[in-house]
Amino acid sequence: MNEPRFLLRPCTWVYLTLLLLTFITWFVGVNHLSGRFFAFLVFGFALLKGQLIGDHFMGLRWVAGPWRWAIFIWLVLVGTLVTAAFWRTL
Amino acid sequence: MEKPRWPPGDLVIWIFILAELLAFGIFFAAYAFTRANHVELFNTYQLTLDRNAALINTVALITSSYFVVRAVASIRQDDSRRCFHWLLAALAMGTLFLLVKSAEYHHHFSQGINLSTNTFYMFYLSLTFFHFLHVILGMVILLAVALKARRGCYSAAEHTGVETGASYWHMVDLVWMILFPLVYVMR
Repeated sequence: MNEPRFLLRPCTWVYLTLLLLTFITWFVGVNHLSGRFFAFLVFGFALLKGQLIGDHFMGLRWVAGPWRWAIFIWLVLVGTLVTAAFWRTL
Repeated sequence: MEKPRWPPGDLVIWIFILAELLAFGIFFAAYAFTRANHVELFNTYQLTLDRNAALINTVALITSSYFVVRAVASIRQDDSRRCFHWLLAALAMGTLFLLVKSAEYHHHFSQGINLSTNTFYMFYLSLTFFHFLHVILGMVILLAVALKARRGCYSAAEHTGVETGASYWHMVDLVWMILFPLVYVMR
């Protein structure tokens, strides 16, 4: 049975979510909002966006085994290192 | 239905993607730890960057990635003509990214800013230019895939080339998702 045509595709929902998170990040940046809360808020958004791209755009959500976690592990490593570096300066 | 054990596209591109992500990850960590020793300098010169241009570029890359997703979906439905059109749209977004980033570089260079100006600009210019080169490579790959799609070389049964090009392009997008807040926003 065909889906009703007014429903958005899952990838379109992901696209709109990515845009929303991007506009919030831009708002934080353009208003020079600083400090631990805002820095880690936008960085958390970046990691979430990365996971959405890996899962839904690169298609890893539908893969079994180690490759399923390739992007997730990279995001965790980068997230940990950047957080450690920024934590003591904010 | 059982999930496949391998990601979409050629496995070689995924090895390449992991190598690229490792390189960018080291670059990001180096930026963050160097900043920790020069907080005032990084915070001061970060304010000289154009966040509106960065927004346009982020939207351009996300949109182009979305178009590539639609191109892959089209070829899976055996519609190579639509696949070609989505890939052209993705290339247009990639071109927009290159134009906006080039305008940013022109602005900085016309003010006499270069790699030697200070540590912040050294990281900003080298990191973003490294990514810029990846955008160009990604566009060359997408163009080659688009031309093959136009000639009808892909089908619902065999479209590994489309998935391979798409995977690389999404990696370019993914890296920018981290780069944007790290370099332009976090302070």
